[in-house]
Amino acid sequence: MSHPLQVVITSLPYLLGGAVVTVGIVVGAMALGFFIGLPLAFVQVYGNIVLRKIAAFYVWFFRGIPVLVLLFLFYFGLFTLIDWNITAFWAAVLVLGMRGGAYQSQIFRGSILSIPSGQLKAARALGMTDLQAIFYIILPQTLRIALPGWSNEYSIVLKDSAIAFVLGTSEIMSRTHFVASRTYEQLAMYLTAGAIYFVLTWVGVHLLKRLENRLKIPGYTS
Amino acid sequence: MKKWMVFLMAISLLFCFSPGAMAKKKVYINGIDANFPPFSYVDKSGHPAGFDVEALNWIAHKMGFKVIHKPMDWDGIIPNLLAKKIDIIASGMSITPEREKVVNFTIPYWKIEQVFVVRKDSHLTVQDVLTGHKLLGVQRGTSEAEWLKKQKKKRGWNFTLRYYDSAPLAIVDLVNGRIDAAAMDDAPAADAVRKKPVKILGTFGMPPEKFGYAVRKQDKKLLETLNTGLRLLMKDPYWQHLIDKYHPGH
Repeated sequence: MSHPLQVVITSLPYLLGGAVVTVGIVVGAMALGFFIGLPLAFVQVYGNIVLRKIAAFYVWFFRGIPVLVLLFLFYFGLFTLIDWNITAFWAAVLVLGMRGGAYQSQIFRGSILSIPSGQLKAARALGMTDLQAIFYIILPQTLRIALPGWSNEYSIVLKDSAIAFVLGTSEIMSRTHFVASRTYEQLAMYLTAGAIYFVLTWVGVHLLKRLENRLKIPGYTS
Repeated sequence: MKKWMVFLMAISLLFCFSPGAMAKKKVYINGIDANFPPFSYVDKSGHPAGFDVEALNWIAHKMGFKVIHKPMDWDGIIPNLLAKKIDIIASGMSITPEREKVVNFTIPYWKIEQVFVVRKDSHLTVQDVLTGHKLLGVQRGTSEAEWLKKQKKKRGWNFTLRYYDSAPLAIVDLVNGRIDAAAMDDAPAADAVRKKPVKILGTFGMPPEKFGYAVRKQDKKLLETLNTGLRLLMKDPYWQHLIDKYHPGH
């Protein structure tokens, strides 16, 4: 039997390959979640009753079902039903992205609501249309205010991505299982996986924090 | 920020296209439970390896097709086959009537028996495990899990089943002392004995099973190809070489 440290070192390149897959899933899911969540947030605040109901249903659906059930439901259920031969990787991106959209919409909704309504009225008084006011006045502030919450969402999606191994994606967690099964070095391997997730979380949150500082409006706190 | 996002997306895209996809030969994807040494696992460099993996590689070479081995979770392996994410399951799968309802199996290539595994210093007998109010670990979704659950009521056994994602995890919990025994195929049990302080207690009355490769019901041609390949392989000296290399028996 080889030393645990030796097992960790020899399997590290393989696990780091899994980290690249994990980062791919998370970046894809966060991007998709952004493009779903942002419009959804504006619809929930400014939309008419029908749009608001649709958005509310979307959020209710994706927030109410465990991510494991969502993955199985879409990958083996709905995607198979419509005969869509999507890879496990993209299915994970899609499902985590759609679910992330529901959560992100709530982050952005909170940000929009935190902007004083007087700004919209003032923009209208200056002759802007509602759409212009939202695009030029509300949106830039929304994104800045939402960044801390968004960074938190990143760390959640990163760790949730581990569940994608049930679909057969070859990310950190599944690779860790495989090595542990062959070597019986469970403690060393799961510690290593934890360390990789920890580093990824730290780096991501740190980068977003720097972005936050750069985009901060001097003297304007929120 | 956008630039590195695009970069990472590009990297992740690379992972989606398997290198063999461009070749002219027919490419089949074999789903393996990589938590099942010595039949299927990933080696030190992260490549799929094992008795089934090498056997199928040989068959693919002989029969003129390409095979890509895709490690995945055992729980989802038949759904993955039915959903056409993979084309073959060559990963120590027992031929059972339940599974035969949804998939087709090749000719059997390996006979296995299910055994109880206990800690090395244990004094338990098979009868103790069955009727001594013991905690018994099994891998979820396996034929032995099904059989033990069914027979328990019929025969008045009183063990409590604990379900695990893989046989090695059951072994770890056994060594930790959280369960009294684990039930599994003799091959992974023998692998565990080589690596952990456990011993094989013996069979517990479950009829021996046979391993076969599984394919979708409609893939009749592939089934024939695999059957022909298996027959050739089992007559070839390479078959004995594989057996000597992986010791799938105990």
